[in-house]
Amino acid sequence: MHFRVFRYDPDRHARPVMQDYDVPLEPSDRMVLDALTRLKAQDDSIAYRRSCREGVCGSDAMNINGRNALACITPLADIKQPVTLAPLPGFPVIRDLVVDMTQFFVHYHSIKPYVTNDEPPPERERLQSPEEREKLNGLYECILCAACSSFCPPYWWNPDKFIGPAGLLQAQRFIVDSRDRAARERLEFLDDVFKVYRCRTIMNCTEVCPKGLSPARAIEHIKIALLRKPA
Amino acid sequence: MKLLSGHRAFLLQRLSAVVLLAGLAAGALRLAFGSPVTFAQWQAWSAQPLGAGVLLVLAVAVLAHAWVGMRDVVLDYIHPLGPRVALLGAVAGGLVFLAAWTMLIVVKHAMAA
Repeated sequence: MHFRVFRYDPDRHARPVMQDYDVPLEPSDRMVLDALTRLKAQDDSIAYRRSCREGVCGSDAMNINGRNALACITPLADIKQPVTLAPLPGFPVIRDLVVDMTQFFVHYHSIKPYVTNDEPPPERERLQSPEEREKLNGLYECILCAACSSFCPPYWWNPDKFIGPAGLLQAQRFIVDSRDRAARERLEFLDDVFKVYRCRTIMNCTEVCPKGLSPARAIEHIKIALLRKPA
Repeated sequence: MKLLSGHRAFLLQRLSAVVLLAGLAAGALRLAFGSPVTFAQWQAWSAQPLGAGVLLVLAVAVLAHAWVGMRDVVLDYIHPLGPRVALLGAVAGGLVFLAAWTMLIVVKHAMAA
């Protein structure tokens, strides 16, 4: 199978280049990550991240034929040749397919991704009704692979100020959590010209989420909550 | 700063869009189904308090909508602080000037009638 891979090593290259590879595959090779593993055996200088190999850790998010995806769950049978592999767009490249996600996690931490509740804890645990728990579906499953944020034009334009789809999906996850008592503070934090309202409803985030989530819907719900929030 | 940022600007843009849509629909219906309007009739209508009021509301809606839209374009594409502030200032100044000019024309016309 023919691959074109983005290569960039700041210690060796003045600028990135696309390098061509022909990778012989075995019948057991099903996913792009399997081919990358073969490719790595052929040229061990290529760098990429991977860990769980089954779409849970989000490490191997990359741009495959112009679309962000997880290499480990993208079937080789579904993609056209030559297969172009590039790092996540809009993120600084450390080397080859490895990007610097520092800013992405700064945004993630800014939304305080944990339940805040100063009330005295119950003897065992803070219970939720099935209906309250249901509200977390479609939000808690995010694996922070950054496929969405990296495919979001407003995030490219203001990566230091716009929280981006992944961070906002996580923010909504805690806003609607019945155990959390800081929804008002969370909304006040988000009510800013940059943090939420750079979203232009392009919906690339929803289009590429490998877990089938809809950050665009979460952002819409945040905007509705901001409108309903008492002044 | 929060007065016209965050959800207030978002709301302003949506509300102004609704006003403009209503004005556009009313104008389109009038053109499609009403009898042709002469310039004199149009002048007479716009000099009446109702006509002048409608024109002013539509003008304010256009300018408010334009402000949020232009501000967003500047925030998205112009990143250095100096040019960004200068452009936002120019847009705001231009829109305020247009608002004052429109008001002057409409009010002057209504007073003269």
